[in-house]
Formats: sequence, structure tokens, C-alpha cells
Amino acid sequence: MRGGHAGGAPGEGLPWSLMPSPQEIKQRIETAIPGSEAEVEDLTGGGDHFRATITAEAFAGLSRIEQHRLIYGVFGEEIGGPIHALTLKTIIPSTISTP
Amino acid sequence: MSSPQFDPVPMAPSHGAGAVDSPSAPEPSAEQSNPIRDAIAGAIAEHRVILFMKGTPEAPACGFSARTVAILQSLDTAFAAVDILPDPRIRQELSALSSWPTIPQLFVDGELVGGCDIVTEMYESGELEQALS
Repeated sequence: MRGGHAGGAPGEGLPWSLMPSPQEIKQRIETAIPGSEAEVEDLTGGGDHFRATITAEAFAGLSRIEQHRLIYGVFGEEIGGPIHALTLKTIIPSTISTP
Repeated sequence: MSSPQFDPVPMAPSHGAGAVDSPSAPEPSAEQSNPIRDAIAGAIAEHRVILFMKGTPEAPACGFSARTVAILQSLDTAFAAVDILPDPRIRQELSALSSWPTIPQLFVDGELVGGCDIVTEMYESGELEQALS
């Protein structure tokens, strides 16, 4: 069972066969989006369902869809593969003035 | 060699009429013509609210799809639903069309609204109800 969860797609010999860790996902987001801060948790402990909350000024002026695409773009085809699910919440720091 | 399962089962819109017809087998050397993508685009154009999901509204096959269905149902929204699971090409073509890698995907008025996260956020803020009204 373990490690076989990337199934569904008819891919084989994927270069990213290792399960990503929350730490790795965090670092990749923060590297790809300068000035961003990401908090990532593994939702199930299985190494394939993650939740990330990302705070970045880079989101300013983008629609939610575009903000999420920016993050998905960091992982490309890994989304839906080894990263089965990546739940996203995006925050623009300059707009944190919650009532 | 991995063999993609080209299951001939057509995608079945579980609500609404036959929004997406069974794509006939594409010619091996089909270059531009892409019947599956055309069928998806047609379904999106034809239905004001359409959800591409894993499973059906009655039997969702994934928690994210289930949650999105539940939100739409709680708003009493009529929506067409397409199960992407019967043929891997559906998901491939949908994602290529929408530039969105995950399932579910909700479209309203021909536009991608988002996946489960965005739909949930918009539901909580009341924006979804507005968008659907």
C-alpha cells in the first residue's frame, strides 16, 4: 500500500517518487515566491495530503484563482501525483486588517 | 509499459441531460482536433453551473468533491455534474483547458470559480451565493 498512492495516472518511473515532506513543500514555496511565508501540514500523515497557508505580498492584485495557480505552478505535475491534494489558503499581508 | 485504461464508458453527467457525449475514439494521429476537450468546453458553455468531480453527487468518490457538492446543495443550486473518473483523459483535458490541476472544479457562467478550497472560502464569505444568484 505504502508509496503506491500516486496511482491513477498512468505514469511510471516518476522522478519525484519520494514522498515530499511538509518541510520540503514549505521550502519550495518560499523559494519560488520571494518574500512568502508558508505553513504546511500533512493532513493525514500519509505524506500526500497537505494543507498550506501562504502569506505573500505577491498575491496582491491577483484573483483567488490566480493566487492558487501560482502555488500549484511551483509543483507542476506533482499535484495529482505524489501530492495527491494540496489544500491552499492564501493571504496578502497588507490586507490583514480583519475587523 | 503502463497502459492507460481507455475505458469506453462515456462520462456521464449525472444531473441534466447528456451534456457530454461519448467521445468517439480519436484517430491516433489527431493533431488539433480534440473531441474530449471540445465536449468538455461544450458542457461548460451549456450549463450555467457545472461541477467536474470524482464520483457523482449521490456517491462522491473523494472528500473534496463531496464537500463541494454539499455546499452547492446547501445553497439549493441546480448544477450539472461530470464524473471525471471513468476515463483519465477527461481529467487531463479538463486541466489543460482550465489550467487547474486538481478536482473538483466548479464553473459558473463558463468561468472557473475554483476548487474545493476557493468554493469553501466563497461559501463562508457569502460570495458564492452571490455568484450563483
